Amino acid sequence: MLRVDNLVKNYGDFRLDISMEIPDGAVTGIVGKNGAGKTTAIKAVLGLIRPDGGHVTINGKEAVNLTGRDRELIGTALADSGFSSYLRVEDVICILRKMYPTFDEAFFRKNCDAQALPYGKKIRELSTGMRAKLRVLAALSHKADLLVMDEPTAGLDVQARNDILDLIRQYLLINEKCSVLLTSHISSDLEGLCDDVYLIHDGRILLHEDTDTLLGSYAVLKVSDETYEKLDKRFLLSSRKEQYGYVCFTNEKQYYAENYPGIVIENGSIDDLILMLTGGK
Amino acid sequence: MHIILNNTSMVPIYEQLTDQVKKEIISGELAENEALPSVRALSAELRISALTVKKAYDRLEEEGFVVTVHGKGTYVAAADRQLAAEARRKSVEDDFAAAVQKAKAVGFTGDDILQIVKIILEDY
Repeated sequence: MLRVDNLVKNYGDFRLDISMEIPDGAVTGIVGKNGAGKTTAIKAVLGLIRPDGGHVTINGKEAVNLTGRDRELIGTALADSGFSSYLRVEDVICILRKMYPTFDEAFFRKNCDAQALPYGKKIRELSTGMRAKLRVLAALSHKADLLVMDEPTAGLDVQARNDILDLIRQYLLINEKCSVLLTSHISSDLEGLCDDVYLIHDGRILLHEDTDTLLGSYAVLKVSDETYEKLDKRFLLSSRKEQYGYVCFTNEKQYYAENYPGIVIENGSIDDLILMLTGGK
Repeated sequence: MHIILNNTSMVPIYEQLTDQVKKEIISGELAENEALPSVRALSAELRISALTVKKAYDRLEEEGFVVTVHGKGTYVAAADRQLAAEARRKSVEDDFAAAVQKAKAVGFTGDDILQIVKIILEDY
């Protein structure tokens, strides 16, 4: 569905250089700290910026050469874009109807009702959560077979985040072939939705792993100084000195659980991944 | 199907899922030829990734509990009670094997191990 080959984009001293592949029907997440290059990657995938090198192909077609017709099949929800805040939800429906021949108005209205989005209110009068829902709904309502979403859940409360993720899940239920690429800061969002995850740091991909493996085999070990000395460090991805000893990150949870009974092992999460592999605190 | 997943458990999610579906099949709660929910449907319901559900279904198929008809769905395999019993036996054997391995590693003899088993059995 989507292929990114050695995509390079330079912004002054920042350099993005990534490769990734999203098969048909897969849900892929990009994680990383602010400034890691997530949004740049998303923009390049959509052909919104011209890459300095490499290729992005969507269904075999170069992203920068996509026609309007091709773009109709991509549903997007970007962080800092959307409809003019002076428009009402009702106006947005008119725009979508004109823009997308495949616009499914019944689907859109049904979900607006379900999410209690007021048709007559101007977007500027809507809450942050409602605006986010509107953005995602617009992306879902024209039968796209690729969804590209940049931080669809940023700044929302837990209920609104769940609502949005459920909207995406429901969409995937009806459109089995649809692929999704999304970024998020909130690891639980990605853990419950994505099939695999790319970790981006300083413009490069540090790690690509199935969510399942990530949650099943990765772990945080907490050990005292003495235990750390004796610890087999072959399967440690990183370690950090703490007050009480060391905190270590491994992708072989089972090995440490079996060979070092009694040490504290916590299941790895995407948050731990970011903290332990990108050297942040 | 009633699946309860524990996100903080040390047991991987797909394994929890596999075990619980297996239990329902063995107990007869899931009848022969009954359709399991689609991968997407179950992943949406349990709020886990579709790949995790796929992995669990693949495992169940490998072990002969379900069959996947391409393009149609996944169904509970023809009730083979013997197979189910065999699977349970195999899993218990594996657990014992692991325990024996552990005991040998710390230098226990066969008699030591039998002794331990006897003591444990007295409690049941």
